[in-house]
Amino acid sequence: MGSVDALAVSIVAANLQTVIGVNADARAPLPEPDYAFLPGRRQYTAGKILTTLESLTDSARFRLGVTQVDLCTPILGFVYGESQLGGKAAVISLYRLADQNLERMYLRAAKIGLHETGHLLGIGHCRTPDCLMNFASNLAKLDIIPLRFCGACEYEVARSLKHCFGSG
Amino acid sequence: MALAVRIMVVDDEETICEALKAWFLKDGHQVATALSGSEALGLMQDSPCDIYIIDVKMPGMDGIELLSRLKELHPEALVIMMTAHGTIETAVEAMKRGAMDYLCKPFDPDALSLLMERILAHKALRDENLALKEQLSEHHEGFFDVFIIHSEPMRKIFATIGEVARSSAPIFITGETGVGKDMVARAIHLQSERANGPFLAVNCGSLSESLLESELFGHEKGAFTGAVKARRGRLEMANNGTLFLDEVGEISPKMQVSLLRVLEEKSFVRVGGSQPIGTDFRLISATHRDLPPLIREGQFREDFFYRINVITIHIPPLRERLEDIPVLADHFLKRYVEETAKHLEGFTQKALGLLSTYHWPGNIRELRNVIERAVVIARGRMIGAEELTFLSPTTTVCSLGPMTLEELEITHIKAALDACRGNISRAAKQLGVDRSTLMRKMKRYHLARS
Repeated sequence: MGSVDALAVSIVAANLQTVIGVNADARAPLPEPDYAFLPGRRQYTAGKILTTLESLTDSARFRLGVTQVDLCTPILGFVYGESQLGGKAAVISLYRLADQNLERMYLRAAKIGLHETGHLLGIGHCRTPDCLMNFASNLAKLDIIPLRFCGACEYEVARSLKHCFGSG
Repeated sequence: MALAVRIMVVDDEETICEALKAWFLKDGHQVATALSGSEALGLMQDSPCDIYIIDVKMPGMDGIELLSRLKELHPEALVIMMTAHGTIETAVEAMKRGAMDYLCKPFDPDALSLLMERILAHKALRDENLALKEQLSEHHEGFFDVFIIHSEPMRKIFATIGEVARSSAPIFITGETGVGKDMVARAIHLQSERANGPFLAVNCGSLSESLLESELFGHEKGAFTGAVKARRGRLEMANNGTLFLDEVGEISPKMQVSLLRVLEEKSFVRVGGSQPIGTDFRLISATHRDLPPLIREGQFREDFFYRINVITIHIPPLRERLEDIPVLADHFLKRYVEETAKHLEGFTQKALGLLSTYHWPGNIRELRNVIERAVVIARGRMIGAEELTFLSPTTTVCSLGPMTLEELEITHIKAALDACRGNISRAAKQLGVDRSTLMRKMKRYHLARS
């Protein structure tokens, strides 16, 4: 969405395909989400971006937006990503994931993308520390989480995909 | 989700309510929202929550006033206040009135996450404290009696308890009335990974179907006449702990279907409600009845039986483990000597012989009552056969030869009434039944007090 690192988008899509097993296509970029800008906070409200993504008319079952702008919600000072639990749209921001080590930044983006997609599949936060569905409230916590779901969440992902698409 | 709770968010801004609701739903909690203090009060009277997150500044009733009213209604409620214009004064005022913490909007994700962890830990500790208090009171009611064992069969049972406690498989305990099935269930709970969670027991045989349904599932306000406010059921309260269904053989087939669904789906709906409530408990069931014949007669569902009967523990009656009788008798003697401050040193050989030859239909409970009575009436330094004479008639009855069950029951009730000089309460205690049960049987058999 808007001006965004294309490689980050490709890496997020590739990880959705390899870790979750869903077909992920990168579509043409959407315009900058100026409609979601909050002048008072100098941030972008994630909820409005989700509404826009949800209203797109294409055949995709789920839509995951990737943006460079700083996202927030009415209650949280910032978010790395936001999604509709069991819904259609999610968005992640690269704004706070930046690191001198580019590989680390892309890995963070992939983890947030997988986490928010997990929510789209109806999966809530997980208490297992080394699970992608564990809530990471800061980058230090995010970096510790490996690029995988725990056994219970993996089962839930498979079950949900079967429900959505009719097969594992 | 380790600990799911019910949370109410109260804020006049709908976007705030919805954003917090979405956040908590992802954490696996159940969330209600209210756009004003008065709406929140109405909701909390119908269906109280564990945690309340309240905005300070709201038109009409403000957050501080709502906090005071809430604490009057539910002193145990955990409250977090939030505001976009925080001042030290309002924070201090909120804490004085019982709020747990205070957050400024918008929150840092770390702050909200850490605060929730702290509150959930506080709640878990409080629940554990309540559970321990309940367990302590149970200990005084004879929790350790069942563990006074000497016999090989009971040693094997306790080895089994140690092995199965850590699994989460449903356990089915069988055994006659009075053998201590409830205490074995509690022992399993205490050795399980859910030991810090609640242990909730329900005697299914003592409640009518509708009362049992309400007791297990809880109900919403107005679900039936007399349901003036919402009430949590045992299925909900047993979350993260153990649910013990005693006398499960008495549950109606209809209720068996409802419970089967709960066990399959790990969620249920309160009576009169529509919202599914998730619950995670370990089920232990017990019965003194032989269920397979009831299954053949269609009175007990086979699918429910196999669902609750994954691991079976059978506790043998006292007459089949005679080695336990002297140690149990000695244990009870010490307890009642301490309570009555009498100087009793033990049992005569004749008394021990009498205790070992009696058939103990009421098992440990009956033995306990017998020793209590003997201690009360004892005059010397030892309990002799003369303090246990009331055991003789039944022994004689057994030696009389074949009798119908009804004849045996009549004779035994008569003997207990004679021994207790017509005192129905004491006779009921000795027989190991409720006073009302004994009264009903006396009426049925046309028995007088003496």
